[in-house]
Amino acid sequence: MSETLLEVTGLAKHYPVRKGLIVAKQVGTVRAVDGVSFSVSRGETLALVGESGCGKSTTARLVLRLIEPSAGSIRFEGVDVTRITGAAQRAMRRRMQIVFQDPYASLNPRLTVAETIAEPMLVHGIGDAAARRKRVEELLSLVGLRAFHAQRYPHEFSGGQRQRIGIARALSVQPDLVVCDEPVSALDVSIQAQVVNLLKDLQRRFGLAYLFIAHDLAVVKHVADRVAVMYLGQIVEIGDKRSLFASPRHPYTRALLSAIPHPDPERRGQVKPLGGDLPSPLNPPPGCRFHTRCPFAQERCRREVPELRRLGPGHDAACHFAETLPPAGLDFTGGLSENAAKRLALYAKARAA
Amino acid sequence: MSATTETEEPIAPPRPGVLARLIREPAAAVSLALVTLIIAAAVFAPLLAPTDPYDNDLSLAMQPPGSEGLPLGADAQGRDMITRLVYGLRVSLLMGFAAVLLGGGLGALLGFLAAFYHRWLDGPIMRLVDILLSFPAILVGLAIAAIFGPGIFSVVLALSVATVPLMARIVRGSAMVVMRLDYIEAARATGMTDARLIWKHLAPNCLSAIFVFATLRFGQVILLGSALSFLGLGAQPPVPELGAMASEGRNFLFFAPHIAVVPCVLIFIVVLAFNVLGDALRDALDPRLRV
Repeated sequence: MSETLLEVTGLAKHYPVRKGLIVAKQVGTVRAVDGVSFSVSRGETLALVGESGCGKSTTARLVLRLIEPSAGSIRFEGVDVTRITGAAQRAMRRRMQIVFQDPYASLNPRLTVAETIAEPMLVHGIGDAAARRKRVEELLSLVGLRAFHAQRYPHEFSGGQRQRIGIARALSVQPDLVVCDEPVSALDVSIQAQVVNLLKDLQRRFGLAYLFIAHDLAVVKHVADRVAVMYLGQIVEIGDKRSLFASPRHPYTRALLSAIPHPDPERRGQVKPLGGDLPSPLNPPPGCRFHTRCPFAQERCRREVPELRRLGPGHDAACHFAETLPPAGLDFTGGLSENAAKRLALYAKARAA
Repeated sequence: MSATTETEEPIAPPRPGVLARLIREPAAAVSLALVTLIIAAAVFAPLLAPTDPYDNDLSLAMQPPGSEGLPLGADAQGRDMITRLVYGLRVSLLMGFAAVLLGGGLGALLGFLAAFYHRWLDGPIMRLVDILLSFPAILVGLAIAAIFGPGIFSVVLALSVATVPLMARIVRGSAMVVMRLDYIEAARATGMTDARLIWKHLAPNCLSAIFVFATLRFGQVILLGSALSFLGLGAQPPVPELGAMASEGRNFLFFAPHIAVVPCVLIFIVVLAFNVLGDALRDALDPRLRV
């Protein structure tokens, strides 16, 4: 289980910003992802969380090489996938698949479900037509659809069903790693439970590793083994789910966790919401990128960039004052909102059924 | 599980084919019948035509429609209008198809490449298109006729060249929208070749734009071809071509209007029928609109 499958080191994606009518001059750089490192073990789920625009989805696409990184390396089973091209790269794609956020945009409306699911197999020359047909049926039943759905078109399905089709497509070539880019955030809560549980079941069955992009902490709490928190293109805290939820070490993680709505009226007064907006990645603040919004910011934070430091077993955070922060005073382990707790119960119930 | 997964396999009626869906719409059915008739008339021209298109009898010159043995009359040289029309249809349709297929095909390919390899090819391809676009079709026709001499070949070439930039622009616009959708990224993530991605995922989803423009352009091309013939750059007398026939007829507009009017009416019917059919075909080919 602990064998490292994916190792990402110093990954960066910088977009040049050009201006000028005739001769375009580079006037700046958007640092969408700026030096991100993490690893995913076989069969493990690493959740990547953070606000909109923090670079989660860019990181996911970089890992799959759907966009080219500006710097850094991505090792998959020890092979640096940023260096391979052509046929070798296409062969590598079989090992890493993706499930998208929007189930309405991620299926080609001109292909039947059978064609969509069989296509990755066709591309990689797996089986003959009959074998592929059989496999499509298997996959459909695996994701909770029926064999007769194979001849239908995507527009004939609901969002949840489409997401299942997307999952079946990702699994058709038996990948080792599936990147889930907010796979349930476009779905109704009742459907979320089904899809999340399906993903967990499939993981157990096939030993899949997930890189799970999300901003919904209730979902993350349910599916993740480890959690990485991103802020402005960098990872500010990464650790085991239990330890991270029990004792968040970075002020940003604390803010994220305390932003989960809570029914206890006494608690409401204690939560100080983060002020301000996410600074522009075009011009990130010097020093610690979070210092503009951090309630504990000091002079040092404005000057010195904090490195990710080991603060506990498998738990790193990038804060100069991680050890000396006042205790959060809030319990995040059980203290999810009533709604979130209800949803977790719903997930559990759906699984038992 | 959702409700549909629980139900037994429905005994669904077989999906109606493209043709069945097509003729459900009355306008589409009529246009299909008309187009079939038009194409059949052009293909079987030698069997349908009562006489030879070059047979003239000056004693019958400018006979009005309804004269004995001449339901649509005769032209200034005393040639049977019906014969001239079916043979003229042949030339006009061939011109239209050839120009739309050649020019539209090349234009669509350029459009796909510009959208797909946006970073590298969009600039060069679209500037080329802009250059082509800045020449009026008639001017291109003049230049080509000057090089190759007037004739059907020159007309087809000129109309193809005039169609390329228009199709390229339309396809590029449509393809750039599709390129942003997740299923293109999903297709890329499966590791397929660029050619397959363009052919299976990009092109089919731009089909409606291509179809509408191709049928619209087909009508325009026939009109433009007629205009070129009218100017004397296209079909040379005595070759029958609808535009050329209208051109010949204009000298006699006051004495024998049918010589110009009849070919024009036929051009009108052909263009209209193809446009309506193109629209209907686009809808019939879209799986989202299937019932």
